[in-house]
Amino acid sequence: MNADKDKSIFISDQEILSLISAWKSQVGRDPSNDELARIINNLVDEEILYREALLLGLDQEDTIIKRRLAQKISFLKEESILEIPSAKELNKYYENNKDKYFIESSFTFTHYYFSENNNSLERSQQALKALQENSTFKSDPFYLGKAFANEPFRNIESNFGIEFATNFINLAPQKWSKPIRSTYGHHIVYINSINPGYIPKIEDVLRQVEVDFLQMKREQAVKGFLNNIRSEYTIFINPDLKF
Amino acid sequence: MKSIFIKLLIALPVIYLALFAGLYSSVTDSRPVLSILDMMRSDSATKIIDFSSDEEKSSKPKPKPNKDRNPYYGDLHVHTKHSFDAYIFGVTATPNDAYRYAKGDGIMHPMGYEMKLQEPLDFYSVTDHGFFMGMLNAWSDTTTDISQKDFAKPFHDLNRVENLTSESAGPRSALFSTILGGTITQAYSDLNPNILKAWFTKNTQTALKSFDYEIHKSAWEDVARAANEHNDPGHFTTFIGYEFTTSTNIEGGNLHRNVIFNSSKAPIRPWTRIDSINPEDLWTWQDKLRNKGVDTVSIPHNPNGSNGQMFEMETFYSDPINREYAEKRMRNEPLVEVTQVKGTSETHPLLSPDDEWADFEIMDVRVGSRPPTFSRPSGGYVREAYLNGLTLEFTKQGNPYKFGLIGSSDTHTGAGAFDESNYWSKVGILDGDPENRGSAPLAQENIQRMDDYMRAFNQPRSTVSLEQGEYANTGFTQWGASGLAAVWAEENTRDSIFKAFKRKETFATTGTRIAVRFFAGYNLSNIDLNSEMLVSQAYQNGVTMGSDLVGDGDKAPEFIVWAQRDKNGAPLQRVQIIKGWSDGSGRGHEKVFDVVCSDGLQVDPLTNRCPDNGAKVNINDCSITKNVGSAELKASWVDPEFDNETKSFYYARVLENPTCRWSTWDAISRGFKPREDLHDTIQERAWSSPIWYIPPASDVDVVPLGGTVRMINLST
Repeated sequence: MNADKDKSIFISDQEILSLISAWKSQVGRDPSNDELARIINNLVDEEILYREALLLGLDQEDTIIKRRLAQKISFLKEESILEIPSAKELNKYYENNKDKYFIESSFTFTHYYFSENNNSLERSQQALKALQENSTFKSDPFYLGKAFANEPFRNIESNFGIEFATNFINLAPQKWSKPIRSTYGHHIVYINSINPGYIPKIEDVLRQVEVDFLQMKREQAVKGFLNNIRSEYTIFINPDLKF
Repeated sequence: MKSIFIKLLIALPVIYLALFAGLYSSVTDSRPVLSILDMMRSDSATKIIDFSSDEEKSSKPKPKPNKDRNPYYGDLHVHTKHSFDAYIFGVTATPNDAYRYAKGDGIMHPMGYEMKLQEPLDFYSVTDHGFFMGMLNAWSDTTTDISQKDFAKPFHDLNRVENLTSESAGPRSALFSTILGGTITQAYSDLNPNILKAWFTKNTQTALKSFDYEIHKSAWEDVARAANEHNDPGHFTTFIGYEFTTSTNIEGGNLHRNVIFNSSKAPIRPWTRIDSINPEDLWTWQDKLRNKGVDTVSIPHNPNGSNGQMFEMETFYSDPINREYAEKRMRNEPLVEVTQVKGTSETHPLLSPDDEWADFEIMDVRVGSRPPTFSRPSGGYVREAYLNGLTLEFTKQGNPYKFGLIGSSDTHTGAGAFDESNYWSKVGILDGDPENRGSAPLAQENIQRMDDYMRAFNQPRSTVSLEQGEYANTGFTQWGASGLAAVWAEENTRDSIFKAFKRKETFATTGTRIAVRFFAGYNLSNIDLNSEMLVSQAYQNGVTMGSDLVGDGDKAPEFIVWAQRDKNGAPLQRVQIIKGWSDGSGRGHEKVFDVVCSDGLQVDPLTNRCPDNGAKVNINDCSITKNVGSAELKASWVDPEFDNETKSFYYARVLENPTCRWSTWDAISRGFKPREDLHDTIQERAWSSPIWYIPPASDVDVVPLGGTVRMINLST
């Protein structure tokens, strides 16, 4: 359909044929003359409403329209990125984003578990005492096991809950801890070793750097466009706004 | 010379006719008829590409693999903007966005709010619809060549009408129906070179005017690339995947499946409903890929909306099921998605009238039906399928229904909604707020809009009048915040998790992170349930979920079940074991046993039920009774009605204390009371894959044939 500055609407043959074919596939037969008239009338109504809406500026104030158009131009910009990054570019990117590659601390530890079903606080306190006195005691099997090796902190939080994780992080290694509460009961914990967090060398994370660099380029295509054009705009806001 | 010319002239129409016959046997129906001609063709769907090497992207330390296996939670059913329908729903999330979401980042819903997980997932697979993948983008983007063709014109309008936001829901739905209706599947004329090319490369879709192969391949490549870029062995696993979106020719029974790949290698294009609508052809394709070293599993979903056609007692073409069919199906489809946004398919109150928990998140209509049409329960629920599998085995037809269970979301926004208290359903702007999904009354000015929308949706009644006002009658009230796929695997890697899929060591949850272990064997009662060695001894002396337990004389199997609550969810209420068996005439039976109750309560041996633990939900603010329910439940169990000559299966079901349903959370957030015609609360749950008991081989099997009974001696 062609828009014209005066109030003319041109409907092409193809447009009508494609509507007829859509009708046929839905209904399974050709539309009657009346039905065809209705289809075309609907099309005309829609076009008129659309143009009048534009004239009234209704497209201007709708957040979702704005967002959709903004997304569309973003995709157009993003899709233009294809080239392979050079070693120099990657190095520079890595240097500027080292924190992103920080490898969090991981822990090798073991624990005794006391189920909340069975008096967990008291039993865990007695167990700690028994450990110090080299006497025997009975603990419960923990659902996810007893010994953990190289567990990142995130997994500890996920496996034991946030309350446990918060206390765990402050424990001294090579020593039985005081009872710590989890979602499931109480635990006494022995941390064998801690691999402290560190920033790896670029060779160790090169593939990841490459992936992130390309993703950054895709995002930058949009940001760069924005930055270039932003200076052409002046932004006014009310400095006295209260809320 | 002249005679050769004449001979050629005579031969030409013959050659053309032969090609024509070949075309019609293969382009429109992929069962080959002319095998000689068939040898001339290359198969584009089995050309393997390594979309990326599997090499690790970083050398950070990995947690040590656990030989007793860990539970990992994920979602194997996620759509992004590459799906033809997601694009109509206003979704612009890319596969990259979807994987960022799974790792814990917030991403944007089409309506403009943030979607974020409370806790990151362990694995994720973006599974866009295979057919016409990427095409909608291309049609509506007027800068592409294909958008200039006639059929693409209505989709230019899409770009325009989509700017009308919620009011565009009607036209959007109409377009959705049109696509499924088939306007776009017009082929070129028979003499067009594209037809021959399509036939020679076994690539029917390239014979369609509306199809652009380059765009299709680049969308598929984007799906594969994003999966490979986000795969982080030891920490986060991704799978290349897509949805094979097929249905029966008549009655529109949904036969959808997700296909999941085991490595960074995949074919150059997905096998889709344009290649064939028959799932058996999908399995043939999977077999071919497996011979080329690319393993896959396909996972049926929404059997509840299949009008009873997902688990039929006959094949797609209504032939009797035989062993070959059963083996082929099980080789390719070891798992079924039992719960997702569009309802739960464990069982139905009409199929399991004695199961008090059967009326759970039932969706009673066929997937995508316009107007919504009732879906026949029988043939659409997994418990009945397990029973029917035993019956088919009884009649020597093999058991095609020996699958394990997973859940997944089927979100179309890139981001699964698993949390009842933070729910966005799945189809973008169509159900992105409480008014549109019918959990809060419509504002006066929106009633007419909803009416228009539902008329376009070909739905007879657009709204329903209830105590608190006029509600949208969209069918979205039957959808819910579900579910998750869970596996028991040694470590969080593609290899380890994929192997768990293959051996069916999986369980499904309704979005909660309950974990459940389940073992059976003949020497399990010796194991101390309070020993640290419990799990390793159970693995050693028994079998776990997804396995067969072969009979051992007249010994009764012993079961061990151990469930742990979700630390962010409600405490556990009970663990049940569901038994199904086939009697001496091949008829199926089922029974639900409570095997361990919360708070130290004891199962009543007469009713096999736990007493009420007293857990309640306050419907005004969704708070739940404190200090009731258990963090873990553990028991060993022996079937009190065991018969060693009866084929049977057992699976565990774990129930949480009741909590508010999403529709109740929605209503409260808008200052209303929950709708009186919906469930206020639900019991989140998990299901293990079954363990099948296989009776010891007997000398004589009885096979009924045409009303008489014939004795067969198996030893001869």
